[in-house]
Amino acid sequence: MKKLDLRLLRMIKASKGQFISVVIIIMVGLSIFISFSTTAVNMRNAIDYYYEESKLSHIHVQLMRIPQNALNEIESMEGVTDVQGRISFDVPLKIDDKGEKVTIRIISMPEGGGKVNRLYPGETMDGLNQGKTILIRQFAQARNIKPGDIIQPYINGREHSLKVADVASSSEFVYLMENEQTMMPANERFGVAYVAEEFAQSVYGFGGSYNELLIRVKDEDMIDDIARKLEERLDKYGVKRIVKREDQLSNKILSQELLGLDIMAAAIPVLFLIVAGIIIVIVLSRIVSNDRMSIGVLKALGYSNGQVLLHYLKYALIIGITGSVLGIIVGLVIAGAMSEIYAMFFEIPLLKVEIHYIYIIYSIVLTSLFCMVSGFMGARRVLGIMPADSMRPEPPKSGKHIFIENISFIWSRLSFSWKMVIRNIMRTKRRFVFLVMGLAMAFAINTIPIFMWDNATGMFYIQYGKFQKMDYIIGLAKPMNENVIYDVKGLLKVGKLEPRVEYPFEISNGLKKLNANIVGVPRNTMFYEFRNEYDEEVILPYKGIFITEYMAKALNVKKGDYVRVRNFIPGKDDMYFEVKEVIKQYLGVNAYMDIEHMREKLTEKNMITAISVASKDDVKTKLEDIRNISFVNSREDMTKAFEEYMDVMLLSINIMILFGGILGFALIYNSTIISISERRMELAALRVMGFDKREIFWMLAKENFVITVISILLGIPMGTGMIYSIADAFNTEIYSLPMIITTRIFILAGLSTVLFVSIAQLAALKKIHNINFIDALKSRIS
Amino acid sequence: MERTPQIKVENLSKVYQMGEVQVKALDDVSFEIYEGEFVVILGPSGSGKSTLLNIMGGMDLPTSGRVLIAEEEITKYNDTKLTAYRRDKVGFVFQFYNLMANLTARENVELAAEICKDTMDIDEVMAEVDLSERKNHFPSQMSGGEQQRVAIARAVAKNPLLILCDEPTGALDFKTGILILALLRKINKKLNKTVVVITHNMAVGDMADRVIKMRSGKITEIKVNPEPIPPERIEW
Repeated sequence: MKKLDLRLLRMIKASKGQFISVVIIIMVGLSIFISFSTTAVNMRNAIDYYYEESKLSHIHVQLMRIPQNALNEIESMEGVTDVQGRISFDVPLKIDDKGEKVTIRIISMPEGGGKVNRLYPGETMDGLNQGKTILIRQFAQARNIKPGDIIQPYINGREHSLKVADVASSSEFVYLMENEQTMMPANERFGVAYVAEEFAQSVYGFGGSYNELLIRVKDEDMIDDIARKLEERLDKYGVKRIVKREDQLSNKILSQELLGLDIMAAAIPVLFLIVAGIIIVIVLSRIVSNDRMSIGVLKALGYSNGQVLLHYLKYALIIGITGSVLGIIVGLVIAGAMSEIYAMFFEIPLLKVEIHYIYIIYSIVLTSLFCMVSGFMGARRVLGIMPADSMRPEPPKSGKHIFIENISFIWSRLSFSWKMVIRNIMRTKRRFVFLVMGLAMAFAINTIPIFMWDNATGMFYIQYGKFQKMDYIIGLAKPMNENVIYDVKGLLKVGKLEPRVEYPFEISNGLKKLNANIVGVPRNTMFYEFRNEYDEEVILPYKGIFITEYMAKALNVKKGDYVRVRNFIPGKDDMYFEVKEVIKQYLGVNAYMDIEHMREKLTEKNMITAISVASKDDVKTKLEDIRNISFVNSREDMTKAFEEYMDVMLLSINIMILFGGILGFALIYNSTIISISERRMELAALRVMGFDKREIFWMLAKENFVITVISILLGIPMGTGMIYSIADAFNTEIYSLPMIITTRIFILAGLSTVLFVSIAQLAALKKIHNINFIDALKSRIS
Repeated sequence: MERTPQIKVENLSKVYQMGEVQVKALDDVSFEIYEGEFVVILGPSGSGKSTLLNIMGGMDLPTSGRVLIAEEEITKYNDTKLTAYRRDKVGFVFQFYNLMANLTARENVELAAEICKDTMDIDEVMAEVDLSERKNHFPSQMSGGEQQRVAIARAVAKNPLLILCDEPTGALDFKTGILILALLRKINKKLNKTVVVITHNMAVGDMADRVIKMRSGKITEIKVNPEPIPPERIEW
């Protein structure tokens, strides 16, 4: 081995702690990059393959009723390759536990499974005939239902017994969710049962017709165009919704999740590499100034500038390569585990864990680049060292007055030791700037998980405690006269009830459109509280419409504009409504109207589709045997599900905080060690003068304290920026994070930063103990 | 027979700008040194002898004047050429040895040798400076005299044209200093290497073939010793 390289290795060995701390940062950053990217790509590949294998529809149409023979007309449209009709209804399932309400979606399937939305594995579809059903896997697993068991749904008000022929997965329900409002899956409370087409048609009286169409197209670029044409063609059949694949619920949530992975895979490793780079700059510039004389000797011996510079760059490069290799190994292991976790949440039967070498190459190239640049920034002073000069002792650092001293109001009030602390910080301005930047970043990283936690919780409790106060929403199987309220009221001895109409519509402004439910509630609603963008409470108008913030943004409308509501009910015309307010809503996207106005303009007089209830009564049990109820949504169940979900989230939040902590630790640990070694003589002199080790420690601690405080102050805007961009990236139709940034977030993030800084200081403390002050004072010669 | 000088210094001047003051470290210095000579440059501190050595060693450039080494004008060299010159033609010995702390004695010598083409056998050189037994020790495990012997080995192993020594005994006690001087003399004689030693110690001049005395950046005297005494007989 070249002797210069040998020297380098011994140098690394002598400062293991610093070396390891930077390697760990790179390792963590890269393992996140590798694991997240690999998982995202594996998921994408698997899902693309799965969608193609199972012939997932490109367009999914919900309508009132369409006769079988009308399908030929659709199939002949340009670009359409396959059309399949089906019948789909949500019905309650009979369950032993009376308190539990389980909804099952009955979906018809042609003999042999048809050409679109085929189940996996394919052979399961063969056994489907009268009286049998194929159950979706997630639901069957959650409720422990096996082939051969009997399930008993209430279909059209009658109890039917269906024998489970098999269990299968569907690419339509990779993420099994009832609708946009449910926010998270509850596999034991919502399932899908596939039945034979004749069976579904006969029980629903849909002989020879369907209420849903599944359409596949030749070219995915044509989806928009075909969807637009379908709107006109199918108008007479009462189109409720035309859902393109990108809007399909399961696919949308999956895409959202993958987007999240992409963002994390891009942002976090870069932050880690920046901090690693900062430490490399600080450490290397220290090493170079320590080695000033050795550098001079090397040059005197005939080593060229390039050779000497490379010697120090190799230090950065070895850190980078060690970090990347470890990060790649750890990342691949995590990728395997992550894929397994995702397989638990998403039913992707064909998910394979593959290694994508391109990400490994990216990692190495990116890290080497970062390390070389920061290595150069740290070591470039090598070039300026003249061999002749380096033999002479370095002149003492010029002690200059600093600008604060001119502000005598402040300066005169500082104690001597504080003056020293501030002068010391200012003496190495460049390092100070780097350190503050890095620490501010570590702090900012800590604000994100705290924000997410606070706001996910806030989002849920504001939505379901403040904006919507009902305990239950009872969904009717079909629109009924509002007198049904009195029947329900009779059954429930206590409680408040309110009628409700909820229908899906297409709401548009010019070419921009959105499918969403319009909810009609009484003007003096007991259960809803509407708040506009300025957080002022607003009351539903007699005429006009309230839309949620997301909708306003998606349609590009504001208060006072008009939106078009496309009516699917045959014989009803499209209507224009004035947007009276843009309101806040964190879960789901809706519009709200006065129930009377809505029924007059859009639906039918006196008809309701659901009842909102506030009652301490055991609503679910009491309504269990009632016909015509398709679902009972209870706030309690949602809260329970939400809290379970938050338990899972807590883990990732802790990991994020740990990430910020690692960065803060490494920064302070390294800078403190450097500070100590740099000032060995000075500190030794203080020891000789009678300062004890603890006093010296406090002096260094004060410096770090000042740096930490400044970093936190700088980190507040930085963290706010990060929070905004992350919240923006995660805003969807399903949920939008309320942008409530409280001081609590910054206090907690600050506390965790201070905690990690303190740990790092204690770790560096032993170096003070190691100073042999007599040696340190003797000479500067090695 | 007319000898050609190995080192030819002509009208060399070096001016340092220290703030607003100009300091003349070298003021129109000229002399010649011949191959195989043991030369001592004598002068008090601040006389310009270190500056002179640095320029001769290709570590610094003069303000005016020329230095020719084996008829090559090194003062015209650019940085790359100067580096190559230092690598192949010069061996340095410093007052404070300046060894790499984390390399062993032998590794320190190899460090210098491995970038040169035509080097001497490392173990032979180690034996020459009487360090065969100590070659695997780190500098911190060695005495000052031993460290300086490593430094001499480091300079010699490159097989240079000339060996430049800056106060090589300055940090050593009398006895060890004499041993180092004897070692330098031995290498000078045995390997026929030109050795230039700068020192403020007048007594060292007695062992030189040629003594150049300096004061305030000027040469005050050049003396050729017809009969230099062996270093063992020097006293101070």
